Amino acid sequence: MIASVKGLNFSTVFDAAADAMLLTEHTGHIISANPIAQRLLGYTEAELKGLAIEMLISPRYRKQYRYYQKLFLSKPVKRPMSAGNELVALNREGKELLLDISLTPMEVRQKLYTLIIFNVANRRLDTEEALRASEERLRLAKQAAGLGIFDYDFKHNIVYWDKQMRKFWGRYSEKTVSYEEFVAAIHPDDREARQAAIEKAMDPASNGEFKLQYRVINPVNGAERWISARGRVYFEAGNPHRLIGVTRDITEQRNIQKKLQLQRDETENILKQQVAARTASAIAHELNQPLAAISAYSEVVLHALNTNSFSAGNLRRALQGCVEQAQRAGRSLHELLAFLQKGELVTEHSNLAEVIQEALNVVYDDGYGGFHPVLHLQENLPAVQCNRTQVRKVLVNLLRNAVEAMRTVDSPILSITTQVQTVNEKEMAVVIVQDNGPGLDQIAVKRIFEPFFTTKPSGIGMGLVISRALIEANGGQLWVDFDAKPGAKFLFTLPFVT
Amino acid sequence: MIMYEPTVFIVDDDAAVRDSLTLMIEQAGIRVQSFENAKAFLSAYQPNFFGCVIIDVQMPGMDGLQLQDELSWRKILLPIIFLTGHGDIPMSVKAIKNGAIDFLTKPVIREKLLICVRAAFAEAKKRISDFTQNQEIATCLTKLTRREREVMLLAVQGRSNKEIGSSLGISFRTVEIHKSKIMQKTGASNLLDLARIARESELGE
Repeated sequence: MIASVKGLNFSTVFDAAADAMLLTEHTGHIISANPIAQRLLGYTEAELKGLAIEMLISPRYRKQYRYYQKLFLSKPVKRPMSAGNELVALNREGKELLLDISLTPMEVRQKLYTLIIFNVANRRLDTEEALRASEERLRLAKQAAGLGIFDYDFKHNIVYWDKQMRKFWGRYSEKTVSYEEFVAAIHPDDREARQAAIEKAMDPASNGEFKLQYRVINPVNGAERWISARGRVYFEAGNPHRLIGVTRDITEQRNIQKKLQLQRDETENILKQQVAARTASAIAHELNQPLAAISAYSEVVLHALNTNSFSAGNLRRALQGCVEQAQRAGRSLHELLAFLQKGELVTEHSNLAEVIQEALNVVYDDGYGGFHPVLHLQENLPAVQCNRTQVRKVLVNLLRNAVEAMRTVDSPILSITTQVQTVNEKEMAVVIVQDNGPGLDQIAVKRIFEPFFTTKPSGIGMGLVISRALIEANGGQLWVDFDAKPGAKFLFTLPFVT
Repeated sequence: MIMYEPTVFIVDDDAAVRDSLTLMIEQAGIRVQSFENAKAFLSAYQPNFFGCVIIDVQMPGMDGLQLQDELSWRKILLPIIFLTGHGDIPMSVKAIKNGAIDFLTKPVIREKLLICVRAAFAEAKKRISDFTQNQEIATCLTKLTRREREVMLLAVQGRSNKEIGSSLGISFRTVEIHKSKIMQKTGASNLLDLARIARESELGE
């Protein structure tokens, strides 16, 4: 016992201890601080005496301190240093010190005192500081890049999301959201594609990569934003566990792309128009020359008859000229048509579903995206006999027309259907391309297959004429369903392989 | 100057168009000569060619508008009627500004063509007479001596005899003698008449 050693009392031990010590009242005010404690904290004993411990705690930890203090006072038992008690104190210079502490309650004459022994654990604080700095950097970078972060927990069907994500979704409060609510804000037309992408990423055979662009509709103001999402599915024991990723708002980017595409289309159309104008001009010249001659010869004959002043030689010459020039015009036309239908048609056995996919790829590559094709392809459809390139060309033309017609539609839907139909007792493959655009008016319906007729402000009106000619050359027919509502519905047939 | 019978010269690369127009114009009692391209016409051209020329705008090689430029450069005064497959407005405006009589679209109407041809013939006559008058004046002026031409140039600018004398370094009296010789040689009755002759002969330029 200390008291049995002469000259050795509490005060001597307190002052001589190698560890920093503070003695406090139950109110948390300091009664005494030993020299090590004074040195560590940088205060004199006089300054420390009567000071509330709380004042030594870093302000951002004071709330936490008060909670622990209350807890301790309600049940004052010894807390050894290894128990992980720690405090972040401020020394006189304002530097933060992470302290490992032990608490020893002592009851003397029914009064509670606490002996606090503490050591500085600065190395650990530096690590925490570094972690905090790194987190801060991440936060700033995330903010600068406009990135949102999500974590979709498959098992609990819950999505954890950060502030930026909540902003994209137009919901500012909850830090988690049920998956159903999360999906509810996604554009209905994009949900299917998104679900497919998630399922693909959840396949344990895949690399778990998730990458997609979709639209989100703000529930408050109805504004539509394009979101680019990238992430990865994490597996646990071979089962998909969660999908973690980032999102970015790419609406502006998409708008610019769309604008550029429109400009490109316009230029291309002007070019096409020029080509058409030149072709038409060449054809006109070919026919106008004989017409001019026929007209002049005829007027010569007419004038001679009217004035009774004809020489048989000149009349013969004029009429002979008429005949020759009319034949010349006919020959020019035949040559022109022969030129347009140059070469023998080479056909092959073709899988229609493949040709449709190729055509869709061409349309996408040309930048006519922004729609979701709904395919209703008949299973096990026999192969058709056709020139693949020509049929693909026709499909591309019909698809482009449809996409252009749907430019004003909020949710463009383009459906492509294949089926078997009996035409004149012969089984034929039918391809149906239907859009949900404004459809064709009465004039358009009557004239849609006429050369140079167009409903597009910058079209040349040759696409459908050529398409129909190509399908007919392949032994099929191309027509429009007048009664289709809404939108326009084009159908064409092709013969099966015999 | 001998006036030849007016002729329509046709320049068109299309044989049938040439032949039918020839027949049509000849039927109206007008002489026709036709050429299959601009080069053939230019090499056959004689200074006594009189009448008008019908030119197809679209021709291989030198086209109609180029031929117009060439004729103007060679100071060939034949009025031009253009033929075209389709009425290209900017092109016709340019052709008319450059002095073409008319711009006709194929197929041409007989009546319209003949009216144009007759108008072109009238224009041709006017051009010839203007040209002849200018030639006569030019001949008169060649009779003047170098000094007389100098005096005339200053006189028509409205300078007084005294001013002319001092700027040419001759006496007032000598200027008067030169002036009376000039009036005699050109047949001008007064100074105003002299100024007109000078302008028409382009001496002032």
